[in-house]
Order: sequence, then C-alpha cells, then structure tokens
Amino acid sequence: MDWFSFIVAGVMVYVAVAVFIGGSLYRIVKWFRTPKSPIRQGMFPQPAGTAGRLLKMGKDSFIFPQVLDTDRWMWFFVIGMHLAGIGLFIGHLRLIFEFTPLYNAVGPVVMEDMAAWVGGAIGISLFIAFTYFLLRRFKSPYRELSVPEDYLLLGLILLLVLLGDHLRLTSPFELSSYRDYMASLLAFKPDFPAVIADSPAKWILVGHVLTANLLLIYFPFSKLVHSIGGFAGNLLRSE
Amino acid sequence: MVTEQEQDTAVKVLDEKTNRQLLYYLDICTRCAICKDACHQYVTTGDVLYLPAYRAQLIRRVFRKYFTLQGKLIPSVVEASAPTDHLLDELYRTTYACTACRRCMYYCPFSIDTTWFTGIAKAMLVAIGRGSTILGELADAAIMKGENIDMFRDILIESLKDTENELKQRVGDPAATLPIGKQGAEALYVALAGTHTILPMAIIFHQAKADWTLSLFEAANYGYFLGDTAKARKIAQRFVDEAKRLGVKEVIISECGHAYRVMNFLYEAWAKEKLPFKIRAVVDVMHDYIKEGRIKVKPGSLKEPVTYHDPCQVGRNGGFYEEPRDIVKAVAADYREMTPNREKQWCCGGGGGLVAESEFDYIRFKGGEKKVEQIRQTGAKVVVTPCENCRLQIDSLNEKYNLGIRISSVMDLVVSAMDLPGGKPA
Repeated sequence: MDWFSFIVAGVMVYVAVAVFIGGSLYRIVKWFRTPKSPIRQGMFPQPAGTAGRLLKMGKDSFIFPQVLDTDRWMWFFVIGMHLAGIGLFIGHLRLIFEFTPLYNAVGPVVMEDMAAWVGGAIGISLFIAFTYFLLRRFKSPYRELSVPEDYLLLGLILLLVLLGDHLRLTSPFELSSYRDYMASLLAFKPDFPAVIADSPAKWILVGHVLTANLLLIYFPFSKLVHSIGGFAGNLLRSE
Repeated sequence: MVTEQEQDTAVKVLDEKTNRQLLYYLDICTRCAICKDACHQYVTTGDVLYLPAYRAQLIRRVFRKYFTLQGKLIPSVVEASAPTDHLLDELYRTTYACTACRRCMYYCPFSIDTTWFTGIAKAMLVAIGRGSTILGELADAAIMKGENIDMFRDILIESLKDTENELKQRVGDPAATLPIGKQGAEALYVALAGTHTILPMAIIFHQAKADWTLSLFEAANYGYFLGDTAKARKIAQRFVDEAKRLGVKEVIISECGHAYRVMNFLYEAWAKEKLPFKIRAVVDVMHDYIKEGRIKVKPGSLKEPVTYHDPCQVGRNGGFYEEPRDIVKAVAADYREMTPNREKQWCCGGGGGLVAESEFDYIRFKGGEKKVEQIRQTGAKVVVTPCENCRLQIDSLNEKYNLGIRISSVMDLVVSAMDLPGGKPA
C-alpha cells in the first residue's frame, strides 16, 4: 500500500469510525444531559397509549405522511433516497460476509448479476435524488434558507455516490479483492491486495473511502443527526 | 445599536433557556422547508422571513456561534452569527408576527415546534428591552389589576349589576344571581374582559343548575404573547390563587384559545406546582351539559348556512375538534365544513397577540387570506368559533374582504338556540 492510500484508506478509516461513533454518542449524551422541559407538546389528535405513540412515531419517521401531503415530488425523492440508503448499507455488508442462503439459492452467477443490477440501480437512484436535493436548493425560498453547510454536505455526498457508482458500474475489481481489503481493515492491518494496489482504479476507491471518511467525521456535527434525533422529535409530538 | 452587554444578555438567556427539546430542534432541522407550505404567512406573502424554518434558523445562528464546535471552527460554513442589530430586528419582526398555530409542526417530518424557537426569541428580546411595547403594557396592566384587586373589586361587582338584571329577565327568574367570589363553589369561570362572555355563560350555568362563581380576572394573557414567562405566570396566577382561595374543583376557561393552552399545558411547568383543581375549556363544559340533557338546544334553529373555524389553540393545540362541532351541528340546519379542517386547518392569522398589535396589521391581513378563501368556499353566512382572537380577526377580515358574514361564539350560539322564558334579548 502506498503511503497516501495507507493514510486515507487505512489510518483515516479508523479515525473516521471513531469520530462517528464517539461524536454520535456525545450528541446523544448531550441531549440526555440537557434538562428536559416539563411542558408537554400537546399536539392533537393524540395517539392512545405508549404503543400508539410509538406506532405514530414510527409512521411519521419512516413514511413521512405529512411530506406526502405537502410536496409529492420531495416525498418521492426523499423516500427513494432513504430506501436506497438502506439497500446501500445492506449491499456493503457483502464486503464482510456472504448472504449464504441467498447465494446458495441462486448460485454465484445470478448473485453477481443481481448485485450489479440492484447495486447499480441503488447507486443511480441516490445520485438522482441527491442531485434533486442540490438543485432544489438553488431555487427560492430554499436558496435563502440554505447555509453553506447544506451545499457542502450535498456536494460531499454526491461525490461519494459518484465514486461509488463508478466502482459499481465499471467493476474494476472482483468482490474478493474488496473483501481482502475489508478483511485487512478489520484485522487492523490495512492493505490493498495486489490487484487493487497495481490498478489505476485504486484511486477511485481511495477517493470513495476518503469521501466516506469525511462524511462519517462530519456526521455527528451536522444536521445528519436527524437520523437519530428525528425519532425523538416525532415522539415528543404526541407527549 | 445593540450594545455588547445586550448581546451578552441575549446569549445568556439562550443558554439558560436551552432545554432538551430545543436542543433536538436546533440539531435536527435539515432545512428541507416542507414547512413553507404549512405556514399561512409564508404561503400568502412568499417572504422567507415568515418561513418557519427561517424563524428557527435565526436562533440557530446565534446558538452555533456561542455553543457549538462547528460554530467556533467553521462559522461561515454554518452561518454562525452574533445577535447583531439586523438579526435582532429580523427576529423581532418574525417572532412577534408568528401566530403560534403550529401548523408547521404538524407538517414537519421531525415535528419541530416553531413555538419553542419563538418563545426563546421573545425571551431574548424582552431581556434586552426589545420586546413588543404594546404587549408589555397590556401585560403590566393585567398584573397591576392583580396586585390592586381590592381597589377594583367593588367597581367590578357594581359594573356587573346590569348584567345580573339582564340574566334575571332572560331566564325569567328573579332569584337568579351572578355569583362572584362564592366560597366553596364547584367551578370558577374565568371570562374575558367585557360582559359578552359573562352573560351567555351565566344563562347557561343557571339553566344547567351549575354551582359556579365568576372570576374577578379575565382569562387573556398578554404576558404569554409577550414571551415573558414571569409576567405570564403572574397574570394566570391571579385566578389560580382565587380558585385556591375559593376551594373550587374546576376552573373553566372561557372561549379563549391561548388562555386554555396556558392553563392546560404551561402553567404547572412555569409555577412548578400541581394545581389542586381541574382545568376545563368552556366548550367542553357546554358539550357535557347538552349531552347530559342539563340544557336543551333547539335542533336546526339556526337556518343560515354555518361553518366552524377550529382555533389553533382549541383544536390542534388543545384537543377539542368534535365537542364544539357537535354543538354547532346540533343547532345548525345547514352546517358546512371548511377544507382543510381540524388538525390541518389554516390559522385565522390573528393569533399570538397579533390582533392587539397594529404594527403587524400587514401580515395579519395578508396571512388571513387563506381563511378568507376557505370561508368564501363554504358560502356560509355565519362563522362560529370558540376563541376571542379568532373572532376579532375574522371580524376584521369580514370587514376588509367584504365577506358578508356574522361571527358568533359557541356560547352565543347555544343561548340563541335555548328556549328561555325571557325570550330573545331586546
């Protein structure tokens, strides 16, 4: 591994994961250590009982019915983006382990085809959705409301997605090579297998990892914590 | 010009008043601006100043500068800012304009409550002498009345003699009384300034054979609109103390949206005490009387087309959607629903104390256009609503936009549909 890759796709990955976990925990601890006002929100109609409240929170947090009611296009892209995000996360798990039952059921060829098609579709969807979010911000009143952070975050995510899409769509490496790299990271001995180290496409991978690192590091300090705090907000609503 | 000392004071208020709820809201807003279509003021003006997320953003700028790492490291990226003159000026214009209807909270995918931001913004402004002057004066007058009630008591009681006589005549009972300060009564009724919410309820209470007494104080709370919780608490405490002294079991708040919200959701938190009596909205009480058959209304006695406006603080923020509707439907021959309604209803545009502040007339009338449109669509000739602010606002919308409607409280509607020995008022 060359020194740059070692720093960015090696050392920095640990730093990023540590900041992401530590920062997110810090954020959660800070929320819980700040005294809660005893004032109930009192928004009606109120769901009945704890189960009702949790159900409503889940519905509001996962389906965004109010967004559907107000801005259908936004809802379409937002729900698409979040679903694609979940798919993306699941897809990346294959770097660590194989979905054996599925693999056994469909066989290696279909499995790879499926990964290529589903992964590609997810990657392209994410690119379209984030492009929509970015373009939307150039329009009034979103423009006036936006702060540089909003554009930087979207730019960073778009770059991350673009590099990921490139890797997915041009398939410069086999899954096994990525797995070797991932295994080296998990063993705290970061290294690229020879196929990656000797390929110019390595730099795409390094760029992908770099943008992912930056996103992980900034995550706890950005509005992306809505993915944690949003549940609290939606639960408070029915208090 | 704002001085450095004033800036420090404002920041200190922000620091002291930041609680867990506000911290969530400060951290999680993504500025997606779904709230833009929810706010009647933004929808009718297209001015970003009235966009709910922008209201929150002004507070967030200050918070980020003083209390966050990113605000210290990369202030321009997160738009961290000191409370400058410009910022404070915008804060004043946007927070005192907000009617606290919380329609934006209903639509926010994270349920962010804008009133948490306007509340803290008002507290900051008040602390540095930039609060609303007129609301401050009205709040001080109410507190003054509370502190000098011995001076006012006789005048108040004397002024209600005519009302009591009218009560006797209307219910055809010379023994009918308008009880004031009755020790051990079941309920203390807190009316509004003037007699227009006293006589109808006196008639209803009398017919329902209720054991009640009238408060010497009015329900309205300008301290709440001002955003000064110490004053708001003092104003409400006037009748809380009265209720404790009289030993009542329940306090009935008149048809006044914010007064009910203050008592039902805020007072106990402000005063850090559990109230020894129940707080009830008068529409709920009237609804019970009709349901229990304690008073009777003639079905279909109101022939004109009628619609009902959900006051934000009674409906979305108070929980009474069906009770007042049931009453109106029981009396109306031709009931028409506005669209949208209930939790999605549009604010009339006059909440948050706006009807008392002429400097906000522009946004009050502009923001009211949604309601005007809704009322017109129903073709109703009568608009019934259980909130004084809404009635005053819809009344001025009626005049300005030539709606040709009549505005009624629920209690007036009930009384007009009751069979009273004394008949209709002269």
